[in-house]
Amino acid sequence: MSQGIIDELINNLTKLPGIGRKTAQRLAFYILSMPAEEARAMAAAIIDVKEKALFCSVCFNITDSDPCDICSSTTRDKGRVCVVEEPSNILAVERTRSFDGMYHVLLGALSPIDGITPDRLKINELVERVKAGGIQEVIMATNPNTKGEVTARYITEVLKPFGITISRIAYGLPIGSDIEFADEVTLTKALEGRREV
Amino acid sequence: MLSRTEGIVLRSSVFGEADLIVTYLTTDYGLVKVFAKSPRKMKSRFGSSLEPFTYSKISFIGKEDANLPRLTQSDIITPFYALRDDYNSFVSLCEILELLMHFLPERDPNAGMFSLLHKLLSKIRPGEGNELYYLYCKVRFLGLAGYLPKLDACGRCSKQTLEGAGGRFYVSHGALICDACKTDGAAAITLSQSALRFYLSFMKWNFSNIDRVKAPAPLVSEIAGLIDAHIKYIMSRPLKTAAFNGGKGPLKR
Repeated sequence: MSQGIIDELINNLTKLPGIGRKTAQRLAFYILSMPAEEARAMAAAIIDVKEKALFCSVCFNITDSDPCDICSSTTRDKGRVCVVEEPSNILAVERTRSFDGMYHVLLGALSPIDGITPDRLKINELVERVKAGGIQEVIMATNPNTKGEVTARYITEVLKPFGITISRIAYGLPIGSDIEFADEVTLTKALEGRREV
Repeated sequence: MLSRTEGIVLRSSVFGEADLIVTYLTTDYGLVKVFAKSPRKMKSRFGSSLEPFTYSKISFIGKEDANLPRLTQSDIITPFYALRDDYNSFVSLCEILELLMHFLPERDPNAGMFSLLHKLLSKIRPGEGNELYYLYCKVRFLGLAGYLPKLDACGRCSKQTLEGAGGRFYVSHGALICDACKTDGAAAITLSQSALRFYLSFMKWNFSNIDRVKAPAPLVSEIAGLIDAHIKYIMSRPLKTAAFNGGKGPLKR
């Protein structure tokens, strides 16, 4: 067997984030030892995701059918929309199983210093959704960093005239951590957002 | 080699899955870019210390001439988080940071720039009109970088009779040009006599006393417009942050 095809697989695997040459080598040899049908299914899944994946025209989640399963669901609460930066954030929120509303993906966050302006995000589309009616609450679940915060504030200003409830996910300490190791800003925000028990 | 210094975060750029490349303006090394491992993970020890404007004590390890040393420690001295929470202050300060990053070379300590940026962050009050502070800092930064527009005399013959007369600022010369030396066809901005007088006296003030200056808004915006045109010419493009309307109202869409 020529070493060339293994090298090619290794080279391609190193293009994945977080995969160095050694890990790629280990993965390549694991793939080599896999049953042929499993390897074929994996390759087909990669091709499928590239060929069939598209953005949902309503929420801009990545999907293979438009509108996506969440937007076309009849059991979910259409009055609440959770705004996130990236499609991967939807997976994180869905894992909690504590939110049964709809989503809106911005496909990024505002960043003045990088020239990422509001028109480069799906903010106008969110405004149109709110304008169409039926939404009572928009939950801002952008990342708790400067860009996410600026984006949330901007959208809050834009949506204010519509008179709907706009909320921001809470700040605080990660479960399992120790207060002693928290930084000043996180702890300040956690104290500011405290609630009566 | 382990290096320890104090620095202000200018920018944090996402690198790979959970890493960041953080640009600091430090007291001892000037502009430094460092690699921070996994600060985006929930339990990262860096916490919020790598957010823009944070003033902290940092340590990084790497060869003396390493392009991207690794950040090993970052302890917050002043977080300045209220400035990040206010949209307009944030956008205006981003303009200043962009200017700094454009004009400052890496690893070239500049105590003046550091001190001015630190003073600015300490002085800004979110929600209040801080235009004079931003204008002052922009002009001072241009001066420290060697790009100060020449408004006190003719840029060609150095005739110092312009103060009382206002004049025409030639962007391509970065200076006021008197009638005798003027060039036909070159783009020029007309500067009113009062704006010129205001600018020349304003720049003699100390940073700490700027809150005592009461300037009419049209004069400030006239000078600000001239400075922005000057910056645009030097950079060959407008500041990226200019698209955000200088933080004047978040609703520019």
